[in-house]
Order: sequence, then C-alpha cells, then structure tokens
Amino acid sequence: MTFFAGGVRGEVSDTWLSIKFELRKHLRRKRLLIVTALAIVVPLIFYIIPRIEDVDFGASASSFAANTLGFLPVLIVISAALFAGDAICGEFEKKTGLLLFPTMQSRTSIFIGKYIAALLATFLVVSLYCVVTTLEIMGVYGVGEIPAELAKSYLLALLFTTSAVSVVYFLSSILKRAISATILSFVLLLMVMQVIQEVLGFIGVEPWFIVTYSVELITERLGEVTFGPGNHDDEFNSARFSPDLYVGIGVMIAYTVILFLSSIVVASRKSME
Amino acid sequence: MEYAIQIEDLVKIYSRKVTALDGVSLTIEKGDVVGYLGPNGAGKTTTMKILTNLIRPTSGHAYINGVDVNKRPKEALRHIGALIEVPGVYDYLTPHEMLTYFGKVYGMSSKQTNQRIDEVLELLNLSDWAREKIGSFSTGMERRLVIAKAILHKPEILILDEPVLGLDPRGMKDIRQLIGQFHDQGMTVFISSHLLGEVAEVCKRVIFLDGGKVIASDSIENIRNRTERRAINARFLNPLSPEDIDRMQAIELIDNIETVGSTARIHFDGKPDTSAQILSTLVSQGFAISSYHVESMGLEDFYLSVMGDNEKGVR
Repeated sequence: MTFFAGGVRGEVSDTWLSIKFELRKHLRRKRLLIVTALAIVVPLIFYIIPRIEDVDFGASASSFAANTLGFLPVLIVISAALFAGDAICGEFEKKTGLLLFPTMQSRTSIFIGKYIAALLATFLVVSLYCVVTTLEIMGVYGVGEIPAELAKSYLLALLFTTSAVSVVYFLSSILKRAISATILSFVLLLMVMQVIQEVLGFIGVEPWFIVTYSVELITERLGEVTFGPGNHDDEFNSARFSPDLYVGIGVMIAYTVILFLSSIVVASRKSME
Repeated sequence: MEYAIQIEDLVKIYSRKVTALDGVSLTIEKGDVVGYLGPNGAGKTTTMKILTNLIRPTSGHAYINGVDVNKRPKEALRHIGALIEVPGVYDYLTPHEMLTYFGKVYGMSSKQTNQRIDEVLELLNLSDWAREKIGSFSTGMERRLVIAKAILHKPEILILDEPVLGLDPRGMKDIRQLIGQFHDQGMTVFISSHLLGEVAEVCKRVIFLDGGKVIASDSIENIRNRTERRAINARFLNPLSPEDIDRMQAIELIDNIETVGSTARIHFDGKPDTSAQILSTLVSQGFAISSYHVESMGLEDFYLSVMGDNEKGVR
C-alpha cells in the first residue's frame, strides 16, 4: 500500500514537472504570447469598431456578449491546435523523445503533463477573452448589466476547451507529423464537423453527437448571434435545432474522456523506432 | 554476480518482419568500458534503444544492475545516462533551462541541479553558452549538450550510441578524453560504433555484432595481439652487407630475412618474447638499429576479417 501510494505520489510529481516544462516551452516559443494577444485583441474589436463608427453596441448586454463570445470557439480551436498539435508527434518527429524518454519519468506522466499544460494554456486564453468581454460590458452597459448567463457561457467554453484539446491531442498521438496534426485539427473542428452538422440539419437529423454542435450552448443562453462564426441564420440551415444543455455537456465530456484516454494509450505504446 | 548490463537472448523483429536482433546475449561488468562494434544495420542502436526502454524487445530480457528495463523502467533508468542516435534539442530553450528540467526529473534539488549544471557545462566547454538559445549552437555544441544531459545526474552507467557522430577531429578527441574521465570516475560505459580504431582508443573490451548476432567478443589487448603478423620491420643505420645478412640468418630465432638496402623484414614465430630476444641479440652483435617494430594487419583489416565485407541488417 505504501509502495502504491509512493508510486502515485511519484507519478503526480512527475506530471507536475512535465506541466511546468511544457508551459515554459509554450512561453519560450511565443505561442502563449500570440494567443494571449488574440484573446485580448479580438473582443476589443467588438468594442472599438462600434466606438469608431459611432454605432450601437447592441440592444442589451446579453446580445453584445453573445456576439463577442461567438468568436471564442474559433480561438479555442486555434489555441488547442497550437498547444496540443505537436505535443506528442513532435517528440517523435523531431527526435526530442530520444532525450525525454530514457529517464526515470514515465511516459504516461509526461503525456498527461503535456495534455494538462495544453489545457491550462487554453483555459488562460478563454478566461482572458471572457474577462475582456466582461470589462467591455461594464464599460458600455454598467456593472449591474453583466448577464448572469455569462458565467455559464464561460464554464461551457472551458468544457468545450477540454474536448477540443482532446480531439487535437488524439490526432497528435496517431499522426506522425506535427504539421499534419495541427492542420487536420483546424480542418476537422472548423470545417468538417461544421459541414456534417449543417448537412444533417438540412436533412432533419439533429447532430447532437457532434461536439461543434454543442458549442452553440456557449452563446445560446445569452441571445442570438447576429454575425460571426456563431451565426446560423442562413438559408442552408433549413431545419434549425438547438442543442440540449445536458446532452451537449455529456457529448463534450464524452469527447474529452474517450479521446484523452485513447491518446494516452496510443502515445505510451508508440515506440521510438 | 550482478552485472552493470546484462542482455539475455534478445530478439527484436520490427513490424516489417525485419529481424534486427536475433538472440543477442552479453554481459558488462561494473566499471568496464566496452565497445559495441558492428557495421551500419548490425542492430547496435536497437540494442541500446531496448536498454533505455525506447522500444520493447520481441523476446528476451535486458537488465541494468539486475533490474529488468522493460518491467521496472523507472528503477532501471535511474542508473543510466544515455545518448541514443542524434537526439533533437529544444532549440528555443537555453541549456540551463533544459538541464534544469532533467535535474528535477532525477529528483535533484534546485541547489544541486544548479551546481551540477555548472559542473557539466564547464566539463563540456559550454559554460559561456549556459543562457544562450540552443538554436544558435553548432552540431558539435549540441552533441556536447546532450552528453551533458546524459551525465547530469552522475549515472553509474553511460550508454553512448555513436557519440562522435558528426563531430570534427577536435570534437572526437574531446569526447574520447571525456570517456576516459568517466572511466576513471568508476562509471560503466557502453559505446556503440562502427569504427574499431575509435573504440580501441577508449575501450577495454569489444563486442562485435553483425546481422543481429554477437559474433565475437574480446579484450582490446588480445585484439591488438591477434592483429600482429609474424614479421618484424627493422631499419639499420648503415646498409646491410652480405656478411651482416649471414650473421642475422645465423640467429636461431629468425626463420628468414628479406633485405633492401638498410632495411630488413625478419620472419619469426610471432611470439612477443621471441621478438624481444631477436632485438636483444641484434644489439649485442653490434647492429645499429634505428627502428624496430612488429608488423600489424591494422585494426580496420582485423575488423573486416571478423565482420566480412557484407553490410547487412536493419539499423
């Protein structure tokens, strides 16, 4: 029992080391800086452009928040692809694994650490985006107008982050090249899943099992998105469905757990041939 | 007896049905410096990757200090410092940042890690580059950095796969000197190479591998003896007269002599004692000898005689 406890403690401590090392790498590669800048600049555009053009921000704080957060899923996908895309296959492709793996640190703790680091970096991006959005609402509508649903949207965005990072991480575990994993992540999450979702909607089948469909939950509670990638008010979408909150949460959790565990198994079995 | 490294009947068949190792068994005693020699594709890197748990064997076992690497990797790898192939480096980090991480992995405190980083970077002539981005390093500097990583935690066993690959002659000499220092410190060193001359400079023993099988194993001393031919090349200060040649041929230990001007090729039984006695007799008879050495077939010729000319295998 003591041996087991010691083993777990060792694995946790090794995972923590890996998380810190990965975050340092994200910092040194300027990736964290780039997405952090995007997390501040993108929501600011929603504030600055109407100010310059002297137009209304929106009828309510909720609709302003819905429009601003409409771009958040795209930023989450960008962040996930940058932080998780080369996390596994990069070590094999660039042969840095020859340095990293022949140590007393287990591969499982290395890969769990990498996953958590990608998650934390993307959480930071989501949090910053939501903080800037909240500050804008305070500036435009007043503190009392901050919609309570914004907190729920934030939590749902964090949940989508876990599933997006898991999708990218899984691709990184099964593909050989980092660039393939990164590009395929963009294509899958920003195009393929969206297209399937629209086609299923068109033929009257609710795409509840597609994770990008659940993304609509982030803005849905705030109001309708009138422009941007979250706008679904188009002619093609003939049968308009709305994701169920609990089903959506379930789907995002399922993507997270299944793909994360699969990627850990695949990565741990991958050999440095 | 517990060996530093013990390999039992190791077989590795890659997914393409290519046999890289075909029943390799070997042992390395603690404190030994052993060369692992073979042509490209003999299976040297595969063996070292199994020893460092980078790949799993199809069958057989690899032990480090008696611990099965594949069953208890954490315990086995604690004692190892390894340099396998040409590892990639995190070129956006500094040596200090990279080594700090590995110091922590080996359970060293911050103080120990910093102290040890200073020591290894000093040893490998990288002190001035401790806080510079690795991306600006030359190939030789990168190679020295990954060796610094391998010895950071003062391992008992050092596994070096082609450590001088890509280095210039100066870099090669530096690495040879380092290996000598590691041996003096009591470290067990297992070095793979395809150059016998390279290995002979630093190793006490050599294991020959070809086609995934160990085909020979011997001490460097014995190998040097085996490479010597049964002939001595001697040069004299003055040209040899017919009388001189007759006097030499009268020496019982000499089988026959070929002479050209002031040089002679003396055939004998090949024993070191006989060679010494011939020299002593020549000197006592008043021959003025300017050079005297036993002919050698050369290490590379010996290598080819053991290996044959065909380079086969996987990696």
